[in-house]
Amino acid sequence: MDDFNISILGPAFVAGLVVLSTHIPLGREVIRRGIIFIDLTIAQIAGLGVIIAYSFGWDEHGLEAQMFAIISALTGALILSLLEKKAGKHQEALIGIGFILAATAGILMLANNPHAGEHLRELLVGQILWVEWHQLFYAALISSLVLFVWNVFRQSIGSTGFYMLFACAITVTVQLVGVYLVFASLIIPALATADIKEKHVMLVAGVIGVTGYGLGLLISALLDLPSGAVIVWCIAMMALIIKLIASQMITLE
Amino acid sequence: MHTKTAAAFILLVCLPGISQAALNVFTCEPEWAALVKELGDDEINIYSATTSTQDPHHIQARPSLIAKARRADLLICTGAELEAGWLPLLLRKAGNAAIQPGQPGFFMTADYVDMLEVPTTLDRSLGDIHASGNPHIHLDPNNIIRVANALTQRLIELNESGSKRYQKNQEQFIKRWQQAMAGWSERAASLRGQDIVMHHNTWPYLSHWLGMNAVATLEPIPGVPPASSHLARLEKRLNHDDVAMIIHADYVNERSAQWLSSKTGIPIVSLPASVNFQQGETLMQFYETIIDALMASGE
Repeated sequence: MDDFNISILGPAFVAGLVVLSTHIPLGREVIRRGIIFIDLTIAQIAGLGVIIAYSFGWDEHGLEAQMFAIISALTGALILSLLEKKAGKHQEALIGIGFILAATAGILMLANNPHAGEHLRELLVGQILWVEWHQLFYAALISSLVLFVWNVFRQSIGSTGFYMLFACAITVTVQLVGVYLVFASLIIPALATADIKEKHVMLVAGVIGVTGYGLGLLISALLDLPSGAVIVWCIAMMALIIKLIASQMITLE
Repeated sequence: MHTKTAAAFILLVCLPGISQAALNVFTCEPEWAALVKELGDDEINIYSATTSTQDPHHIQARPSLIAKARRADLLICTGAELEAGWLPLLLRKAGNAAIQPGQPGFFMTADYVDMLEVPTTLDRSLGDIHASGNPHIHLDPNNIIRVANALTQRLIELNESGSKRYQKNQEQFIKRWQQAMAGWSERAASLRGQDIVMHHNTWPYLSHWLGMNAVATLEPIPGVPPASSHLARLEKRLNHDDVAMIIHADYVNERSAQWLSSKTGIPIVSLPASVNFQQGETLMQFYETIIDALMASGE
């Protein structure tokens, strides 16, 4: 019964809400632009930044490493947005190439120090159950800044602005909940609501995301399964169910 | 009459309470779960965070993990930075004062044995993660005795009332263990002096105990796939050597071991890396399996 303890599942659930708050609107933009793997690439580039900081001898837990992560992510985002302007139709392929280059650069840099590599990987790719309240505070702060800029200045920041904003959001959330949940939160609710009337989108996407996280955490506690993986499946299932209900309602109309 | 029934009822309710598990033990690896079971028998609750087929370097966070750590009176892990990737996070999330570092409920087995492969220079470029030496200490049965002795003291410290039982269990276990060790050493005597190749650096304690020479490691740097130049050099060198076997843990991918085996004809021996505690295996049976597998390859 202790498995349902609110102090175990509570921070994880709130982390889910924080992630969803930025990822649902950003996810819609990502789908619109057809660049769904950009989150993986940006996360990988941010990770490379921490590896670089580490190989310079800086503390990988420290503020310097976080600075390096965010600067690398922003640089990567800037390059990708320039590439989009130059070679827009190949953007998806270029994003994929960016992913493997960043991933393999990390392997090469850590070739002489593999245990540190394992260690850094765990640092960079968070697991939702390890989330603590003080981490959530910073994540919520940055997420609300991202949301503010996105909602108020969307028209004026342009394509480059979107890439930069996206890089900030992803660097924070991947460390919080890991890449699988980031990808699921970004793509699944946005895709499931792609055909829905504009005014209902945020509500329906929100229901999918929130019930997905909530159910996922409960099921993972009940069946004692890794939480992140269960939540991914629950978000997908909720999207499917709600999509079916929505199409029923449309045919009834 | 009523008071008598009440008294009987209270006794009935309380008796199981008295004999109920005195200690909740959380172990990071199954080998320590198996060991503490020998010492504490059925009167302690044991939960192992990993199974014998999981790499203790990594762990997927599950709610039960935190819940069990929260309730634990005693945490038994290898230490030596084996669990560095997740144990600090788990301890922080569990928020259980009894099992924090420095407390009696925090027991790191690597503190009680002589570590192998301790780097002489602490250069960051060599990897600072295993600065305390190779953490796979349970593969030398002498270490099991050392840890068993220290662990018995710790159990007594945590639960005085069980001291007689723990001491009795310890004496009996050590006696059986030493007998079994003599048997294993005798059976494996022919392995002494033989050259072996290790797939991953899991087995130095085993080869040290049995007197085998680890002439090479397939993954010179654990966790990184071997570079082609390293494999090619290895193949060239080993063709002229008299290498008895390539040892690898049964849960890891054996592709590079198979590559080398097919090039050189050296047989592969697949060994379990730890005790299958969840299926009821004991430390004794685990060592039997290892010796059986090693001897079978020699025939």
